[in-house]
Amino acid sequence: MATNPTLGELLDAVIAAEDVLADLGESIDSEWSYVNDLRQSWTDRLADLATGPVGARPANSSVVEAIELAIDEAGRITDPHRAIDWLSTLPQVVLLAADTES
Amino acid sequence: MRFQDAARDGRAVVYAAIQADPLVARAAELLANASQAERILARAVMNGESTEADRWRRMFPILFGPTPATDNPGQTGVPRSSDRWRSEAILAASLAVADRGEQVRSQVRGAIVEELTARLLARRIPAAAVRRERRILFDGVPAEIHPYDVTVEVSGSAEAFDCKWGARGINADVLHQLDDARTHALDEEEPLRVALVVFDAERSCRVRLEAQTAPHAETRLVGLEDLDSLARPGRAGQ
Repeated sequence: MATNPTLGELLDAVIAAEDVLADLGESIDSEWSYVNDLRQSWTDRLADLATGPVGARPANSSVVEAIELAIDEAGRITDPHRAIDWLSTLPQVVLLAADTES
Repeated sequence: MRFQDAARDGRAVVYAAIQADPLVARAAELLANASQAERILARAVMNGESTEADRWRRMFPILFGPTPATDNPGQTGVPRSSDRWRSEAILAASLAVADRGEQVRSQVRGAIVEELTARLLARRIPAAAVRRERRILFDGVPAEIHPYDVTVEVSGSAEAFDCKWGARGINADVLHQLDDARTHALDEEEPLRVALVVFDAERSCRVRLEAQTAPHAETRLVGLEDLDSLARPGRAGQ
């Protein structure tokens, strides 16, 4: 991650974290479709923000820290059931932090 | 149509003990007065792995600031001291839930959503009419085994709610049970509004619902963003 990342760069990292959570969550066979639909829905939302006008701005330090911590928290998840919960939770936390920028 | 207490079977006894946990009441009371951001904090912490409070404070600068003041202080400005106190209390309660073992954590989270729903409903309806763990009986129809989480038992404007911690809890059984109750009530010419209350983003709930073939067109969805609507007149079941 750059020293002073833009919000868009941070959101790209969040999308990558969502992919990791989805890979873990889809190990529950019965939830494969839901997991991938959920991943698509939230990554579309994050990508919209990343490619919009706010995404090009450097993020302030508290937002950088908040989003990096949220990504780190998602990376601690090892249980597939909890990963599915975090597929939805991580974007909510990140969008809230990003809202500080808007 | 009539309401009845659920049978006191083994499940009910165990679950009653969970519902009576003081932590459930404390968390629900805090969340009933919480902002959307504080509710997302609670969801994240109760779902999370970390139990270090300061990590969570730094993950939510909008609540634990200082954040840049803007033209919209209610949303992104420096939190007022009363808001900060409430955010701290929600963080503490959520960490206490997260500190429980996985199974108990899951049960406590579910009980919190039910208690939160009941408390919000009691802001627009006399509390005595808001009941928990009740079955709904119809003439000539076998009773459902599982009770409804929360019911509003007001003649002519009854309501039934199923409460879920996450969107993943939405499934065919739940949707059928709610819609069956609604249609049986219609058969008896009794209005019964039914709703799903989910402590998760509406976007996630919609994704879940789109894949469901069980009837749900007449079942209202109340997601995390819309919880306060439970306390407002004329919204349930719409």
